[in-house]
Amino acid sequence: MVKGALLLLLAMAASACGHQPVKAHQREWLADRIMNLDGEPQAKASDQHILNNREGAIGGTGTSGGGCGCN
Amino acid sequence: MQLTREGRFACALGVACLAVFVASPVRADGNEASSRVTLFREPSNSNSGITVIHPQVDAKAALGSTVSLNAGYDVDIVSGATPKVFGARMAATGLDAVTSASKFEDVRHETRGGIAFSRPVADVAVSYGYGWEKDYRSHTVTASTRSDVLDRNLTLGLGYTHNWDHVCDANNSAAEAQPLERKALATSEHCFQATMPDVVSRKLTIDSLEASLTWTVTPRVLLQGGVSLQLLDGFQANPYRSVVLGSQGRLAQESLPLIRVRYAGFARFAYAFPEARASVVGMARVYRDTWDVRAATAELTWNKYFGKVFLLGVRGRFHQQDGAIFYRTAPDYATQGPPGQYWTGDRELSSMKSALGGAKVTLLLVPERTKSWYDELDLELKWDTIFYFLPAGAPNADRTHALIWQLAASLKF
Repeated sequence: MVKGALLLLLAMAASACGHQPVKAHQREWLADRIMNLDGEPQAKASDQHILNNREGAIGGTGTSGGGCGCN
Repeated sequence: MQLTREGRFACALGVACLAVFVASPVRADGNEASSRVTLFREPSNSNSGITVIHPQVDAKAALGSTVSLNAGYDVDIVSGATPKVFGARMAATGLDAVTSASKFEDVRHETRGGIAFSRPVADVAVSYGYGWEKDYRSHTVTASTRSDVLDRNLTLGLGYTHNWDHVCDANNSAAEAQPLERKALATSEHCFQATMPDVVSRKLTIDSLEASLTWTVTPRVLLQGGVSLQLLDGFQANPYRSVVLGSQGRLAQESLPLIRVRYAGFARFAYAFPEARASVVGMARVYRDTWDVRAATAELTWNKYFGKVFLLGVRGRFHQQDGAIFYRTAPDYATQGPPGQYWTGDRELSSMKSALGGAKVTLLLVPERTKSWYDELDLELKWDTIFYFLPAGAPNADRTHALIWQLAASLKF
């Protein structure tokens, strides 16, 4: 499973290398709060706190700052 | 309430961060204060169920454009009834489930503080947290980083967390090698008091690593893939829980392996609908661990602005998992006994499905004047319901659903 996930990451990176980058002026919607994969940090922490105690699985919540390069 | 040495340190850290926040001479964008109250209610068909009230407060102070400090505090106020025994006993009419539940109340505190360094194409953040309750203490150190590469087409994220936890347990030193002889912890009254011979403190260390790669595919699409690894080493059982084993109805404390390695692979996406001022955000995850729990989870959220001040979100989540290799239903533990030296009455180690549905509405208040003292005030009301689908004889089968209400306020200035 981990190998599969790493292969997916590798495929994503390879695809991105051959892809026309999205320009800064095209990132208006990507920078909007509704495109944030992690959501608001406090809400995310609360969600994780509830779900980690009610599901036998963890992970998949994303690392801090994984975003769209919109800074 | 008497704070421990670690508690005093964590509180001092929080107060120091707050002092910097208040006294910061630099007036810069990026200051935030937010609070949230969660009411969690898991009713039961046979007892009073579980109620959790969970207030949270967080603050972030920007020291110029590069450095920011953050501090937070939250509390779990838990009350209700929980079965301390999982199992079934032989009776004249067949197997009878053990349904007695004990009332309990507990308060768990957590305080945290951290510092973050942000540059246009990279962030680094470190934080420390301390959590304590009557029978559990936890120190947490977290470090995370983010880097944009390839013209910000890709974002690499890495996060690492280490926990040093201590769990109160009954003193079973005389039966250390005989799990069938171990007795459950009766009360937390003597926990973490070195002079009390009936309790011991057990260690648990947790190392968690998560890596993700986010690809800005088009002006409308974000795609992310990642992996999570977690290694737990130490006491992981519920010290209060006993399991009924065998036809003689032998009662033994829950027994779990000391080592657990957990793996997850995940993919997430966000798709924008600019014309509708809306987006769809999704997640899919597969999971496996060395206790042979296998799980798959999928989640989808739809967000849409209504006018200038309302943001609506609707989400659904589905989770399915197999039980741990040593998990059996209560009747199976009673008729067949345990499969080895491990047994559990934990719902999260059983075969189960759950479905979550919910919605939230956010009121976005942005001042008309450009020189207002604040930049944005958000007020949020959120509701979620979790439905559990458990087979007969599973732990907590009397709890079919949970209701979660949240009220939050967030101020940016």
